[in-house]
Amino acid sequence: MPIVAKLLVVYITLGFPSIERFKEFVAKAANIGVDYFEFGILPKYAKYDGPAIRRSYDYVRKLGIDTKEVLRSLKSILKDTGNVIALTYLEDYENNFEHLLKELVNAEISKLLLPDLLIDYVDLYKSYIEFAKKMGIDLTLFVSPSMPDKLIEEVSKESKPFLYYGIRPTTGVQIPVSPSILVKRIRSKVQSKLVIGFGLDENEISEVLNAGADGIAIGSAIINAIEIRVDEALKVISRVRGILDGHR
Amino acid sequence: MVIFDKKYIDNIIPKYWYNIIPDLPAPLPPPLDPPEGPSRIELSKKILPSEVLRQQFTIDRYVPIPDEVIEKYQIIGRPTPLFRAYRLEKLLNTKSRIYFKFEGALPTGSHKINTAIPQVYYAYIEGIDHVTTETGAGQWGSAVALAAALYKMKATVFMVRASYEHKPGRRALMEFLGAKVVSSPSNLSRIGREILSVNPSHPGSLGIAISEAIEYALENNFRYVMGSVLDVVLMHQSVIGLETVKQLELIGEEPDVIVACVGGGSNFGGFAYPFIGIYNGGKKIRFIAVGSKEVSKFSKGGYRYDFPDTAKSLPMLKMITLGSEFIPPPIYSGGLRYHGLAPSLSLFINKGVVEWREYSEVEILEAARLFAESQGIIPAPESAHAIKAVMDLAREYDKEGESKVIVFNLSGHGLLDIENYSSMMKRYAKAS
Repeated sequence: MPIVAKLLVVYITLGFPSIERFKEFVAKAANIGVDYFEFGILPKYAKYDGPAIRRSYDYVRKLGIDTKEVLRSLKSILKDTGNVIALTYLEDYENNFEHLLKELVNAEISKLLLPDLLIDYVDLYKSYIEFAKKMGIDLTLFVSPSMPDKLIEEVSKESKPFLYYGIRPTTGVQIPVSPSILVKRIRSKVQSKLVIGFGLDENEISEVLNAGADGIAIGSAIINAIEIRVDEALKVISRVRGILDGHR
Repeated sequence: MVIFDKKYIDNIIPKYWYNIIPDLPAPLPPPLDPPEGPSRIELSKKILPSEVLRQQFTIDRYVPIPDEVIEKYQIIGRPTPLFRAYRLEKLLNTKSRIYFKFEGALPTGSHKINTAIPQVYYAYIEGIDHVTTETGAGQWGSAVALAAALYKMKATVFMVRASYEHKPGRRALMEFLGAKVVSSPSNLSRIGREILSVNPSHPGSLGIAISEAIEYALENNFRYVMGSVLDVVLMHQSVIGLETVKQLELIGEEPDVIVACVGGGSNFGGFAYPFIGIYNGGKKIRFIAVGSKEVSKFSKGGYRYDFPDTAKSLPMLKMITLGSEFIPPPIYSGGLRYHGLAPSLSLFINKGVVEWREYSEVEILEAARLFAESQGIIPAPESAHAIKAVMDLAREYDKEGESKVIVFNLSGHGLLDIENYSSMMKRYAKAS
């Protein structure tokens, strides 16, 4: 049986902390074991994100960075890195979803994660998946423990390239939860790769992998580290990659 | 009272609380930090006992009740009795059979103690020796005072000044149990001092009292305990419904209708959720939440994100709400004045799983009197809303020639509210 490496998904706000450092980070991180990047496109209200990611959005907003322009300028790097998932809130694109998808297609990005899709638009999620698919974009679906088991099972079939399971109510805030119980509960129901995120510390990474996760996502830790130096963020990635590789 | 063989009594108290989150019909929107200001979600780690916070976000359907909590449940008189309301049935001349679970039999006169005990216990095992909370009419404050006394902990209760001055009985009860009762707004918090500097005779509000209790807990590394709205509170209250499921089973009854009054939703959720989520009887049950017409959150509230507290110190919740700035009219059912509704119950209402009714104070006054005269128990004004709905339902079924089993939660007795009834009688005597 082939040994399958665990997935490392890294979130970074597009253009944070500056366009140059962002590009430097992405180029270097791609070579040290990141499987997927999530690029956060500045939303009006990052309602399901925690303090670190919100701070990064505020910073990018204040700098006046045109994040979509950054996205378009990334083509050369993205060709090397490949696996990029754009992340933003559907709330901002209710009336111009097609436009967003076109922007992504132009930037040669083929995956999109909308954290509010199954929370605020649950009755419409199938039509959004179909519409995006027609435009050449796969949706990476985000689920949380407070969603019915049946829904998680149902959407897991549609989620590409993995299902993102946020085990806390917000990113980067370590509310006490029981990670292994949460993962075990849905593992058998999820019919795609299962990636766990939201406030994981290093002990919890092992815990969720032992419970059956296919990978983990980190975001707030990267934001906190890259604010110091790009190298600090790269160190976080190396450390986490090491933990993941220990679980092959 | 329905008499149960002694051998069943210990089995009636559940060993697990029931958490309805995994059985909800749709995703429960998560708590939210507002666009501006510090993360309330992060702050809640310092406000609530850690295990309470963990339980708030658990998706386990059954959460074990610690032995130490079960022991206290037994001490305070759980299981509470189930009554058949024979004389009310006779008074209504109804073909329906009416039962009620009597939470007013508990020492502080209401169901509130069911969650006060575990919340205080979880603070206690964390090594905290002092809890804080707020109280309006005094039911929740009394429950916390008793729970703290049972664990030999200190409690500071911020009591809305209007109640502090006009409800000396409730205040005395809390003080008798060892709690420190503070008239809110007070000088113990920044927000209290600010309010008093502008208006030294400010009458206070529940929102201000919550803010003071939270701030006082944060500054002193105490823990704050919350009386309603949070899912964890509804889960602790599930002892009511779980016991009732068992009690009805022992007498071979299956409910057709489940009724309870609603303030923040802990009484309704605790009573009804086990019937909604796990009860496996043969009938399709109607669930009816009863609120106040004067605080008409069902008919006039919106389903949206809002703060559970006026000071906006806690994370926003998606709920049916009249707005955290809502100033309730001076009705005497203090427990129903709250502006919002627990997120899970809001979802059930929104999806049409739970029906609602609203009654005015004058309507419930009459229902309370009829109930007291027929069953001998003076109900809390809040619970009288459920009684009024039950009376109407029985009449409606009779008109349709149907006989149903109607079960409601009598969440509290009204002996400590007798002055409120007296005031209501004067108010409505004048009106008529």
